[in-house]
Amino acid sequence: MDRLRADLILLACCDHMDPNDNYMINLVVGTIKGGFVFTSDAARREWKLTREIFAGWTVNAFARTRTGRYLAGTGSYVYGATVQSSRDLEHWEQAPQSPAFPEGSDRTLDQIWCFNVSGDRIYSGVSEAGLFFSDDDGDHWSPVDGLNEHETRSDWVPGFGGLCAHAVLVDRNNPKRLWCGISAVGVFRSDDGGDTWKPKNEGVTPAVPDALHGIGRCVHGLAIDPQNADRIFRQDHMGMYRTLDGADSWEKVEAGLPSGFGFPIRRDDRTGTLFVFPQESGEYRMPPGRTFQVYRSRSDGDSWEPAGSGPASYAGVLRGAMAVDSLAPCGVYVGTTSGTVHISPDAGDSWIVLPYTLPRVLCVESFVEPT
Amino acid sequence: MATVSVRIPSLLTSLLGIPKTAQVSGHSLHEAIENLCERWPSLAVHLFDESGALREHVLCFVNDTNTRDVEASEYSLRDGDVITILQAVSGGI
Repeated sequence: MDRLRADLILLACCDHMDPNDNYMINLVVGTIKGGFVFTSDAARREWKLTREIFAGWTVNAFARTRTGRYLAGTGSYVYGATVQSSRDLEHWEQAPQSPAFPEGSDRTLDQIWCFNVSGDRIYSGVSEAGLFFSDDDGDHWSPVDGLNEHETRSDWVPGFGGLCAHAVLVDRNNPKRLWCGISAVGVFRSDDGGDTWKPKNEGVTPAVPDALHGIGRCVHGLAIDPQNADRIFRQDHMGMYRTLDGADSWEKVEAGLPSGFGFPIRRDDRTGTLFVFPQESGEYRMPPGRTFQVYRSRSDGDSWEPAGSGPASYAGVLRGAMAVDSLAPCGVYVGTTSGTVHISPDAGDSWIVLPYTLPRVLCVESFVEPT
Repeated sequence: MATVSVRIPSLLTSLLGIPKTAQVSGHSLHEAIENLCERWPSLAVHLFDESGALREHVLCFVNDTNTRDVEASEYSLRDGDVITILQAVSGGI
């Protein structure tokens, strides 16, 4: 009887060969004029636009918390920036206390740039550059003063995208170890849960002339190996870098890349594959070959290769506008400055383009949902 | 104390789920806006910056008068006045 039961279970499993069948994907795209939610089954080849959210607002960041709550960072050059939350990506509610500089501050918080969900604690990087955290699922946010009031602050200068804290990393095995990337300033690390921070940019070419105190480095994107947080990958204004010692030192890793310049970098944590979108220098910010072309590394940055191929394109890709999902093979999602969204359902081997032209894409995020 | 109506821009009403017009009371413009934000606390962060001033690109009209250069606490209101919150529009993004 037990054997028969086992055979039946095996038969049932064979009938659903693809374990991804149990999932669907919500792809959220943030643009300068609102957010868009696309939905697909796990094959990730046919997508439906299911809703438009935050019409007219800049949408710069999305995340999902440990409780399954979605967060969005919305802003407007007129009305400031806030965190919005939702349980279903449809009904949204403003956080009672979004990240904000202290009353009376001469700083203006104009964008929510990123979220990092680390267990029950959530971090958010903002511009004007600052780091905040929430311990209540995103409702209330407090400043990380150790970074926001850093002794080098008076020397921080904005880059082309403003003075923004756009990347936060947390060591999964030691949540007191944090990294924060600030554009045109550099990477900072804290080893004590955010109380104190040190610039960690040794080996990275300065982007700001006469930079002092180890800052003046223009980090564009960061990706961490969650199994070994000493291993961090850095898309910088001045090239592609890697550290193997938690950012104490950096080395260039550009073999196979047509350009070291770019903005986003993402990692498929299942396989360790890295994805980037090289662009031609800070002056042009277009794909070097004038085609949509993602590059990937399956060797922790030792070498890079083109990941499939895309259509002719003159559009760039901003730092938040790339995402990787958690299925196998991973899906890769890229939004461009000209409003197109490109999707690879097979880790970059092949690409489809959504049949929409959206406003300039600022961020994309994928959420794998059980069906 | 005057009872006045406030017209709120659609970008805010759609985000916050609040009505496009509201009746509020106040002796002064400052008090009326304060009462408005007390009723809908989520509105305050969008109207005022960290310094406590009206955001740079937010305009506040009372009837046909732009109050940008007027001290809001000294701007007296009368029954039936209409406060219109507007965003200064410029550029082409």
